[in-house]
Amino acid sequence: MKTIDRSYTTTKKTVCPFCSFGCEFGLVFNDFGVSGVEYLREGNSEGRLCPRGSAAAAYLNHPKRLSMPLKDGRVVEWAKVVKDIKKALEKPKSVAVTFDRNITIEEYRALAAFCKKVGIEHTASTYCEPEALLRRFLETPSTLTDIENAEMIIVVGDPFNQTPMISKSLINWKLKSRKNRLVVIDSIRTHTAHFASDFCQVRAGTEALALLGLAGESIGTDDAAVSGLTRERIAELSSSFKAARKGLIIVCLSFAHCFDPVLLIEGLTRLQQHSGKKVMPFVEFAGFDGSHHFGSVIELAKKKRIKHLLNFGELFPFYYPQLGRTLKGVNIYATSPVRQNGYVTLPVALNLEKQGSLLTTFGKKKLEQAITPASGARTVTDIIDYFSAGSTKEAEFSAPSITVDVKTQVASLAEKARVAKKKTVTLLGEKIAYDFLGLLEAPMLKVNPADADKLGIRQSDTIAVKSKHGETDLKARLTHDTVPGVAVVPAEDPDVRGIFDYEIVNDVVCFIPTEVQLWRKE
Amino acid sequence: MAKRIVLDLDLCCGCRSCEAACKAAFKGEARIRHGDITGQAYLPLACKHCKEALCMAACPVDAITRDEETGLVVRSSFICIGCQSCAFACPFGVIDAPLVRHVSQKCNLCVDRKEGPRCVDACSSGALQYLTDEEIELHEIGMRMVSKDAFMRRKA
Repeated sequence: MKTIDRSYTTTKKTVCPFCSFGCEFGLVFNDFGVSGVEYLREGNSEGRLCPRGSAAAAYLNHPKRLSMPLKDGRVVEWAKVVKDIKKALEKPKSVAVTFDRNITIEEYRALAAFCKKVGIEHTASTYCEPEALLRRFLETPSTLTDIENAEMIIVVGDPFNQTPMISKSLINWKLKSRKNRLVVIDSIRTHTAHFASDFCQVRAGTEALALLGLAGESIGTDDAAVSGLTRERIAELSSSFKAARKGLIIVCLSFAHCFDPVLLIEGLTRLQQHSGKKVMPFVEFAGFDGSHHFGSVIELAKKKRIKHLLNFGELFPFYYPQLGRTLKGVNIYATSPVRQNGYVTLPVALNLEKQGSLLTTFGKKKLEQAITPASGARTVTDIIDYFSAGSTKEAEFSAPSITVDVKTQVASLAEKARVAKKKTVTLLGEKIAYDFLGLLEAPMLKVNPADADKLGIRQSDTIAVKSKHGETDLKARLTHDTVPGVAVVPAEDPDVRGIFDYEIVNDVVCFIPTEVQLWRKE
Repeated sequence: MAKRIVLDLDLCCGCRSCEAACKAAFKGEARIRHGDITGQAYLPLACKHCKEALCMAACPVDAITRDEETGLVVRSSFICIGCQSCAFACPFGVIDAPLVRHVSQKCNLCVDRKEGPRCVDACSSGALQYLTDEEIELHEIGMRMVSKDAFMRRKA
């Protein structure tokens, strides 16, 4: 008879797939399955792990982990779903295939080959977050030496919270020499901003204006004033950065944090060209390009030319219910590792359960399949094989280039930032590694005490937050990190993401800071 | 040689990796907490295994004792009656008595793990260190909460 030894454990080395830092860690197994994670002191992270990495075992054993396909919340057979999708694929022009995150490079290439073979013309990325646009900067791998050698670093966003693993290099670099200058551009006072030599606090959502200013673009006196930074300060930073022998731009973009993410990426590109310095992006996951941008797929769906949408990844459409409402007439088949209602959902393996490679800030990293997929979950390649067995060729898409009309977009952004706000508050999104998929903590709404006084809100009160897209309840946290008129929430939860407004700019779906009403719930 | 967890506030970036590591290892109950000090610095707090442990004196059922070999202040969950006397007595407020389990929870420096506490290994910025008293003497420990200029404090 087999006896169970409770003290017996094995550890398998793997790469954390939850952000582009690509930390190495160990998954610990006992006789009952995955029991936790181990810190292996290897790789760039030297065994350290952020909250997301520490919660990896909890995510693998998520109580909502899906093992069978769901349709309208009810379990259905794989055979039934496969039959439905095969029928839809008979008219490939009415089908769109989209991808977001949680797929490996090999899976993406197999998917692209499948689309080309079947004749699907409309493919797009549904990773509707500004950080998906940073993928172009990931093509040039960075190293931590880039930080050590820099004289001046400009940080856009909050890496201490979003990618905490970079904090050690950044803090040690800053403490090494008094001459090392850390400039942080953000609209809220974040952990990174507290540590900066220069904190450039811009008006909510106007980071793009500051970046264009630093790139030496003439955006007009008024527009510079809209960002909240004086022209003299922008000119001084711009010339110092250009003159610095070695410099670096670190970018960590949050969901719904800036009014025009496309313009922000344009600003980054121009700053890179102007200064000749490198951009080191940190993203939560690397998204993949389709042959179109998602905005054009939405337009086709509105015209009823797209009737079926197959999404491979884990987010869409559950994370963006407001977009789901726009696509009401479309049959959506989406892969997801966890149980969600409303759409046809196919259980998919997590990256930790796959073999393949991931794109990280420091180059490609191999996934060794530390664990087999959970019961019932299929990898993306397994799912494609149902429709096109034996397709081994690989292909790639490149999204159409975006033409940015800087002058018009700057004017439009300035207009949004100038809107007089009387009874509403501007809600911004932020990313905090500790708010990982609700596994560690529920999201808290950061409110300025001045707004809280006006609205009769006290610390830890439950607050209703309402926008034109929906309403949700959040706990209040009063802090001077936000300015009056601006509230901030970590946008990890679909309920929270669902209240944010979006715009389609240059065919790209951009989630933007949103006007919301707040009131205290009894 | 007894070791202890030391925090360098200059390096703490407030990411709460320590808390997450503890929470993941102890089934959702973090034994290290994260405090926000005046919005400027972030203070992870864990049991300090005091030389004169007030929690030990306050415990009416002797559930908290000192391990003679390691010097750790350890709590027996079997004996603990969940009266919260230790939680009230602790001057640092690091003992928790969650209502679900009805017994108090405190840091045991991950005695089950030979490499040392998980929070120290997880710490993303290297602010938490596990050092002996001799090693502590040799370290420059910064305190961001005292002054705003971290650079000045470390070299002072």
